[in-house]
Amino acid sequence: MCDGGDWQMAVVQIPLRFTPVGSNRHSMTAQTVQQGDLVTVIGLEVHVQLETDTKIFCRCSTEQTDDPNENVCPVCLGLPGALPVLNEGAVEAAVKIGKAIDAEIPEETRFHRKNYYYPDLPKNFQITQYDEPICQEGELEISVEGERRDVRIERAHLEEDPGSLQHVGGSIDTADYTLVDYNRAGTPLMEIVTAPDFRSASEVRAFLAELEEVLEYLGVFDAGRDGSLRIDANLSIIEGEEADENGEIGIDALEAANRTEVKNISSHKGAEKALAYEETRQKNAIKRGRVVEQETRHWDESRGITVSMRSKEEEKDYRYFEEADLPPLRVSHWKDEISIPELPTARRERFRSEYDLNEEAASKLTSTKQVADFYETIADEFDPDLAATWVADNLLGELNYRDMEITDIEDRLEEVTRLVELVAEDEITAKNARETVLRDMLDDEQDPDSIVEEAGLGKTDDDEVQSAVVEAIEENPDAVEDYESGDDGAINFLVGQVMQKTGGSADPGDVNQLLRAELEK
Amino acid sequence: MSDDAVTPEDVRHVASLARVDLEDDEIEQFTGQFADILEYFETLDEVPAVDQDAELTNVMEPDEVRDSLDSESALENAPETEDGYFKGPNVS
Ligand SMILES: [Zn+2]
Repeated sequence: MCDGGDWQMAVVQIPLRFTPVGSNRHSMTAQTVQQGDLVTVIGLEVHVQLETDTKIFCRCSTEQTDDPNENVCPVCLGLPGALPVLNEGAVEAAVKIGKAIDAEIPEETRFHRKNYYYPDLPKNFQITQYDEPICQEGELEISVEGERRDVRIERAHLEEDPGSLQHVGGSIDTADYTLVDYNRAGTPLMEIVTAPDFRSASEVRAFLAELEEVLEYLGVFDAGRDGSLRIDANLSIIEGEEADENGEIGIDALEAANRTEVKNISSHKGAEKALAYEETRQKNAIKRGRVVEQETRHWDESRGITVSMRSKEEEKDYRYFEEADLPPLRVSHWKDEISIPELPTARRERFRSEYDLNEEAASKLTSTKQVADFYETIADEFDPDLAATWVADNLLGELNYRDMEITDIEDRLEEVTRLVELVAEDEITAKNARETVLRDMLDDEQDPDSIVEEAGLGKTDDDEVQSAVVEAIEENPDAVEDYESGDDGAINFLVGQVMQKTGGSADPGDVNQLLRAELEK
Repeated sequence: MSDDAVTPEDVRHVASLARVDLEDDEIEQFTGQFADILEYFETLDEVPAVDQDAELTNVMEPDEVRDSLDSESALENAPETEDGYFKGPNVS
């Protein structure tokens, strides 16, 4: 060896930031930047757990269990001699994501080892991807305050999740000891890295919501699973004068600005709060003439602040090198072979044109694939407007009130369809269907027909309504007199009387007509 | 090769990455040993290039669950456990 640096010969020297080829400008500009303004620039690293049955490098189950270290084997415990074997399902999920974000799947992609010593990594390295990630240069369209734009995704790569630690007897710094559970170790993760294209915390939130929707549509992600989404965000503040006349900020100004990396964010809401906090903290520092430190900060959800973390490693300290136990992947042709469903944005557009829905209804009805599928079933069988009212307003409203999701009543959707049928065929009133039958169905798990039968909600025979009309007129001479002397409001009192007599099962509009007809006689 | 290929600072840095506390005399001892080890690695340069099996790609298994270790065997080699967890010193 000839020089002092050579002992680090295994280090792969690659710049920390992966700058997209052919682009050194920012395509996204929220608004025109004025001189003297401070512009916020945010980029994200989003980790999502892929919804596979088994781990990424062994066939242990990924199911969440009550007990620690139940789904572990020599591979995910890092025992000597154990060899990783890649999960085809995880690669398929990665290709689906690549297709959905219109990314390039390179001819060849491979895995690297990222070395660091921490007990959540039993092997002392994490298998991840480095300079040859499976997805490169994609984009995702988001809608912020009615405006559509593309967020560039620089790369998305596969890696394994570490295990989970419990610090017992105190906080992370003061704990007496550590308990380690490797059930999570080896769960497939996709790390999605965006360009620094965000200009506010609310844009980040919109992106995360859209990303989650897309991933759920693809069937590769479960947002309801604890810890399924983790976000690290880079945030820096740039002086407005660094922007050109189009409000775009050059890569040089970005590189020159000190940024903080905010870690430990685990939800959309958390991301918006953490980044709004960090934005204000940095802007205040700049306004007071202080320098923003380039550092890693930890989002403390319970206190609502970010705190400085001693940063342990620099990029080169991870000593990335090729994972020789995993041969390279050549799966670019899978992009043509694997199909993905219609994605939320496209489906929203189609709902608007095909079913003539307004933007709000279309967006509610495409919020999850299950909701959209259910809406289409009902709309095709009955009437798109009736279906929109029933699914978007009534069903989602009542579910939301009970803190439930459509997935919680997956096996009862036929009953909901039957309820809409009863309304469509005019067998019960819309009001009874919504306020009695649907609520009882959700609260008591009864089917709609038995609820209608038990509560006597079937629409009353015309004869019965007619005799109630006659009775009401006979019993209320004062109201009749008022009506005849020109007080049209008196009719409402009579309608109320008829409704009472028929137990609410008559149609108030019909009753009104019948009363007027009877009084004209 | 020169004797200052590995400095005591390099050893301190590597020790901190490995979360190992070293005394000053150990630093001195390891500085020499590091240099030796790296020299051994240089021997590898003399190994003739072996043809890699270029055909070996896309080695994967279907996403089907197989039995894991039972928890008892999983924890068998751990020096300390508690309620099914591996137990270790506090880390920050
Ligand atoms: Zn395993």
